[in-house]
Amino acid sequence: MSGFGNPTEIGVAQYLLMMIEEIGDGTAVLPHTRGHFPGTPNTLDDNGRLGTDLLTCIIDSIGGMTSGLASLPNWIVTTNLMVRRAPDALIGESGTGPLVLDTQVLRRGRSSVVTRVDVHDLEGVAVASSWMSCAILTPENGPPPFNRPVKPFEREVPDNPIFSAPPHEFFNLSAGEQPGVAHLAIEQRLRNPWGILHGGSSAVVLDAAARSLVLGRSTVDATPEAIVTDLAVHYLSPGRVGPILAVATSAGHRGPDHLVRVEVRDQGADHRLMALAMSTVRRLD
Amino acid sequence: MSLLGLESEQDEHGDVRGWMPVTPFTASPDGMPRLATVAMLVDALGGMRSITASDPDWAFTADMSIHLLPAGPTDLLQADLHVRRRGRRTLVIEAELLADGQRPAGSALLTFAVVPRPEHLVNITINMTPGRRKMNPNSEHEKLESNYFDELELLVTSPGLTSIALRPVVCNTVGALHGAIHASLIDEASASLGRSAFGTDAITTDLHLAYLELGRVGPLTATATAIGDPANGRLAASVDVRDGNGELVSTATTEVVAL
Repeated sequence: MSGFGNPTEIGVAQYLLMMIEEIGDGTAVLPHTRGHFPGTPNTLDDNGRLGTDLLTCIIDSIGGMTSGLASLPNWIVTTNLMVRRAPDALIGESGTGPLVLDTQVLRRGRSSVVTRVDVHDLEGVAVASSWMSCAILTPENGPPPFNRPVKPFEREVPDNPIFSAPPHEFFNLSAGEQPGVAHLAIEQRLRNPWGILHGGSSAVVLDAAARSLVLGRSTVDATPEAIVTDLAVHYLSPGRVGPILAVATSAGHRGPDHLVRVEVRDQGADHRLMALAMSTVRRLD
Repeated sequence: MSLLGLESEQDEHGDVRGWMPVTPFTASPDGMPRLATVAMLVDALGGMRSITASDPDWAFTADMSIHLLPAGPTDLLQADLHVRRRGRRTLVIEAELLADGQRPAGSALLTFAVVPRPEHLVNITINMTPGRRKMNPNSEHEKLESNYFDELELLVTSPGLTSIALRPVVCNTVGALHGAIHASLIDEASASLGRSAFGTDAITTDLHLAYLELGRVGPLTATATAIGDPANGRLAASVDVRDGNGELVSTATTEVVAL
């Protein structure tokens, strides 16, 4: 791993603008944090709901940071992440608007950390529950510079309209020629502090491919008629070069719930398999 | 494991295929195998596959995801396992599930933690020669003749709450609760919560399970809590498994479907 960049200048974090605070005095062996996601209009759908693509991004962000706090003076990389949405908060007004992410490290072992993230809206309505595993690594130039307990801080957003664009534009997505295929062209803003593709970016492109497959049309736009209700993603290797290709295939369905397998590959790195996911896409129409 | 009659076959590349007969004692009301038994199949086969994949090191299950599809009444569940990543410290294995050798029945993804081979396993001899065989020799003369959960003596205390005593028959080789029995506790805690919520039969169809600690102190209990409210015949749950000292030993999320 190369050195950590400035945590205030992570493009995906500047786009999502989640504020994170550490609960307690910062000495807990198993840290506890809370994230406050404001839900700017460009990140939400017409009902004010966050898609599972960006939901996974914010879960990965706060879960990764909190797992990292448990690993100091080392740091972490996410190895896999599981998200399950509340079935009553998929349509209508329930579970919309700003979100709160309650994040608790469950286990800190010698080489890995497991962390749970529960997501609610401001009324306390459950939106999703998630857990993720991270591998503990020794960063070449040390971990990111956090003061404990971590206090919320304002992020400076670059003066660039892309930071107020809808997700498919910010993440530089394009649809494939056939349903179930999505591309992501890597830009600097999509990299994490180590220069590799942010884990949330992988989640965004695979989510788009899965929804496109189930709807049977080539698209990377928002899809009010389909939502990913559960996701298991395994990060197998880092994305460094791009373009990134996500290809979804159907495993079958249970009524409106379609089980979809997605492979994410770095085409510029010998088509290396970056991530493998199983997700459930629900048709809402 | 012996009561489930699991069979396996390994090819020259190390890839593994396995089978599990589905009987009235292991099936859900829809005729599919219960998720708990599928967990035993993929955990056992994954463990077998991990031996060659992690050699000269050793591997143990760190987490497991299972998704079941409605394949209809099934006589034999087949699982085909493939290694998707062998890193220095983790091994990722995918399993494709087929009902009666032809109908898609779901899939599983497992992560194994790769560790230096424990001292007591350095000289272990495992039969890895090709060929189909019973995974446990006792399966030749033992047979499940009552409900799988009754055989495990798994109790439902109330909707969403299950428990099991730590007896040798539910333990792994180090005397802790077997990984697939964690899944059994979680499956039935979730399904019982679903039955109560829906007022009808319900089955656990999906599982994302993370193992945290060895469950060495009994009894072990699983507590399922709904994630939001049920809707459209679906219930999502978060399930924690604790040992007899109240320590969290595994956690999962599940989906339950009303029948």
